[in-house]
Amino acid sequence: MAILRPEEEARARELLSALERPVELLVALGREETPLPGARDVDFGAETLRVAEGLAELSERVTVRVEHEPEGFPRFPSVAIRPEGRDAGVRFDGLPWGYEIGSLIGGVLEAGRRDSSLRPESLEALAALDRELAIDVFVTPT
Amino acid sequence: MKCAFASPHVRATAIEANAFPRLAEEMEVWAVPRIVVDGVPQWDGAAPEPVFVARVLGASFG
Repeated sequence: MAILRPEEEARARELLSALERPVELLVALGREETPLPGARDVDFGAETLRVAEGLAELSERVTVRVEHEPEGFPRFPSVAIRPEGRDAGVRFDGLPWGYEIGSLIGGVLEAGRRDSSLRPESLEALAALDRELAIDVFVTPT
Repeated sequence: MKCAFASPHVRATAIEANAFPRLAEEMEVWAVPRIVVDGVPQWDGAAPEPVFVARVLGASFG
């Protein structure tokens, strides 16, 4: 089963054709937390890998690598979005499904840019940051 | 995610709340998107880029 509808796939392929550099999706698999009742029949790890491989099929600049419980990943499954295979500190924990496939594609597009899409004033503010900052954004597929 | 790609000091993680119910409960995720900075819940809902950047940096320095 495709991860996107045909019209969505065409649009995603078009967007991903703009990638200026390679992007690696590192799929980290491992022991998963027991999900909410009703979700237990889903193999989150296998589905996450399927989504990542589905995106890689849309662009030759997107590649997928799988690791089992790599260091530094507190939760599984997880997808690290790595510009040119480098750890940029960007991850999606859990199964990117529904609306969140769009978020994953957005992350790949940003990773594939040589220059940030942020406004100059945002980049200036971030440049002044002199300590580590962890931003977590909780999402749902709907 | 854009902030993390733009700064080596920033890490950004999207967390699918249904897959991690214990963490979601701990972070009091009742609505999404729920923004958490350095492990401390901050606000719910999307924000324009200037507001988002100012808030996360404010939370960091605050």
